[in-house]
Amino acid sequence: MTERLANILITSFTKILMPGIRVTIPLTVCSFAFSMVLALFLAIVQVANIRGLKQLSQLYIWIFRGTPLLVQLFIIYFGLPSVGVMLDAFPAAVIAFGMNLAAYNAEVIRAAILAVPEGQTEAAYLIGLTYPQLMVRVVLPQAFPIAFPSLFNNLISLLKDTSLASSITIVELFTTAQQIAARTFEPLAMYCEAAVIYLIFCTVLTWVQGYVEKRLVWEHKEGDRKGLRGLKTGV
Amino acid sequence: MLEVKGLHKAFGGNEVLKGLDFKVEKGEVVAVLGPSGSGKTTLLRCISFLERVDRGEILFGDLRHDMVHISKKKIREFRMQMGFVFQSFNLFRNMTALHNVMEGLTVARQVPRQEAERIAWEMLRKVGLEDRALYYPDQLSGGQQQRVAIARAIAANPQVILFDEPTSALDPELTGEVLEVMRKLAEEGTTMVVVTHEMAFARDVADRVVFMEDGGIVEEGPAEEFFRHPKEERTAQFLRRVLGDLESDR
Ligand SMILES: Nc1ncnc2c1ncn2[C@@H]1O[C@H](COP(=O)(O)OP(=O)(O)OP(=O)(O)O)[C@@H](O)[C@H]1O
Ligand SMILES: [Mg+2]
Repeated sequence: MTERLANILITSFTKILMPGIRVTIPLTVCSFAFSMVLALFLAIVQVANIRGLKQLSQLYIWIFRGTPLLVQLFIIYFGLPSVGVMLDAFPAAVIAFGMNLAAYNAEVIRAAILAVPEGQTEAAYLIGLTYPQLMVRVVLPQAFPIAFPSLFNNLISLLKDTSLASSITIVELFTTAQQIAARTFEPLAMYCEAAVIYLIFCTVLTWVQGYVEKRLVWEHKEGDRKGLRGLKTGV
Repeated sequence: MLEVKGLHKAFGGNEVLKGLDFKVEKGEVVAVLGPSGSGKTTLLRCISFLERVDRGEILFGDLRHDMVHISKKKIREFRMQMGFVFQSFNLFRNMTALHNVMEGLTVARQVPRQEAERIAWEMLRKVGLEDRALYYPDQLSGGQQQRVAIARAIAANPQVILFDEPTSALDPELTGEVLEVMRKLAEEGTTMVVVTHEMAFARDVADRVVFMEDGGIVEEGPAEEFFRHPKEERTAQFLRRVLGDLESDR
């Protein structure tokens, strides 16, 4: 390795990392949070069998899973202004990523809700709970650990997909790598460096996933813990 | 006290309850017997509105209602006066035993938290599980789970408790503890309808026995008499078969 290349790699590392921390991560977090709110709504109107909304939700999922994310992003950022809807690049990206991911997360949540044994639903009705109470107190707390691994998987995918935001002028991790590559004529090194930084982010996320999953277990607070380790609910 | 009249229920084209009349008096323990597929579970599920019936009327306390055209709100009103114990326990797996018992009080009936907790502890003591109050269902044996389920069913002091084969999902050595709790409830004068295959329990604890076959009631009468002198040939046949099994079990 030449000294020049080594220098470029070292100085560019923080230059690529910083927009990663300042833009890629907030973009991921905001998009994911938005997707979850929307996904919860899309999933619940389906399992609750609310006429009209259920069909609308299915239509939504059909469209957003059936068209490319990049196309959705372009429609929202470059297309909507012609009907008078102007969005800054960052909110446009959050909306596009969030709406796209919501379609996938809604299916994960719906499947998790259906995996909660039906008998508990009947038991809840029989002790007098209403449907919203049943959802909030019994079904969703149990659906969450079931859905968690798949939701987290989608979060990791999203983190990498945010690199598409470079195509709508957002200066995030990948955009920066592109700029430096153009300036230094070292595309291989710069894109590999960008890849390594994504890999670092994803590795951290994977650790977080493992940590949280271990805690998604109902266990009693007092008494004998021995012999109870490894007991898992939901999954 | 609780009565259903002219109950009709079909699944698809398969008629499961064929105009059945069923009644339980206050303080009475009724055992419902019958071969598999005779419609015992369906009867309990219709009474508690877990199944939509095709025809029928319910009289409960001073409430009287058509069972087909009935609002969700009204159904909830009826259910608030009933307890139900399932074959498969159906405890809420995200809650401790204590919270399982409290849930119907705090959430459905707005009982203040402290009061609900006091009642829940008392119910758990009644079923002999005070020391397991803070355990989650997955950390309890089948027999313990079913006793928690009974505590949950009796917590709101319902007028009647419906049991659907409460010991059928249990290992034989665990049925005793559950039956013991039920026997105690019966002695306290709790109104109970118990679908069961436990002939000894039906004979010793029930006041009245109802024998179902093919979606209808074939014979009913005081428990003593039912077991000693069954009137119908089909009943006698059934008893010979199950009591024969009971003997050979020993
Ligand atoms: N959800 C359902 N859909 C279709 N058929 C059903 C359903 N539930 C029950 N049945 C039918 O209704 C009939 C009566 O069933 P039910 O469960 O009431 O019998 P049971 O007397 O409780 O039997 P067991 O002693 O085996 O529990 C059976 O023929 C059964 O196949
Ligand atoms: Mg049954």
